[in-house]
Amino acid sequence: MTEVRLPDLGEINEVTVVDWLRQEGETVVAGEGLVEVETEKTTFVVEAPQAGKLALIVKRKGDKAQINELLARIS
Amino acid sequence: MNSWLELAEKKLEAVHLPLGRAEYARTYHLQTRLHELHCQGKIADTVITVEHEPVFTIGRSGSASNVLVPLEVLEHEGISVYEIERGGNITYHGPGQLVVYPIIDLRSQGRDLKRYIRNLEQSVIGFLAKVGIMAERRAGFPGVWVGTRKIASIGVYVKHWITRHGLALNVDINKYHFGMINPCGMNIEVVSLNELTKEKYPLTKVRAGILSEMEQLFGWRFVEGDAQQYWKEDW
Repeated sequence: MTEVRLPDLGEINEVTVVDWLRQEGETVVAGEGLVEVETEKTTFVVEAPQAGKLALIVKRKGDKAQINELLARIS
Repeated sequence: MNSWLELAEKKLEAVHLPLGRAEYARTYHLQTRLHELHCQGKIADTVITVEHEPVFTIGRSGSASNVLVPLEVLEHEGISVYEIERGGNITYHGPGQLVVYPIIDLRSQGRDLKRYIRNLEQSVIGFLAKVGIMAERRAGFPGVWVGTRKIASIGVYVKHWITRHGLALNVDINKYHFGMINPCGMNIEVVSLNELTKEKYPLTKVRAGILSEMEQLFGWRFVEGDAQQYWKEDW
């Protein structure tokens, strides 16, 4: 199981999840865009750290997330 | 400590693509294409400058409910509406506005989203200071403000740490068009540079000023590129 965490974005502390580009159960490839988060009028695309199945989405659309917080798990 | 010569040599070459006046959809395709090429390491940092035909664009946190007039009015005025992937809500682009789309790698700019936004804002604030206008940031409301009025808007998209979309500075805009929306989803007033100055600045002069500020802020030296090689006929 691989964890998908919000990467270090610099001085930013918190983002809002705006859209999941993949849904639970879907297969993802390493490096593909998984989820869009927004802060300071910027949409940032978080990528899949490795290939697998998107097993669990932890932060849903509209949720807030802090840097390094768990967003999802890939099996 | 680095000598001046060493610092000068560290300046990165960035490409400026001046599109002049161009329709939104074509420019959107161009910046998406350039973003893709930059992600593949095939092009250097590139900055598009453009003046759009009238258009409303709605970002990821936006809603069409912030368009305050019926569709027929938009059609009559020749204004298109696009929902796009940048951050932020709704904004207007049109003649008399300088739009800047940096397609750049933030990994060579400190991987810091806030610093990037601050640099975009500073390019406007720095230029405005040189023409005698004091502009500022407002905490929690990205963009550039003169008093309570907004003169420049920001909306950015970052994938693989490469940016697209960017900033829009009002130089001499049609405020009637801007009045058809709640800019950024808020009831705010906008202002143009030429309302605030005796001298009426052409867009080309404003563009040169902003690019010069960007060279300082981002450590670039601009070379002019030719957008034609990236255009596709079917755009």
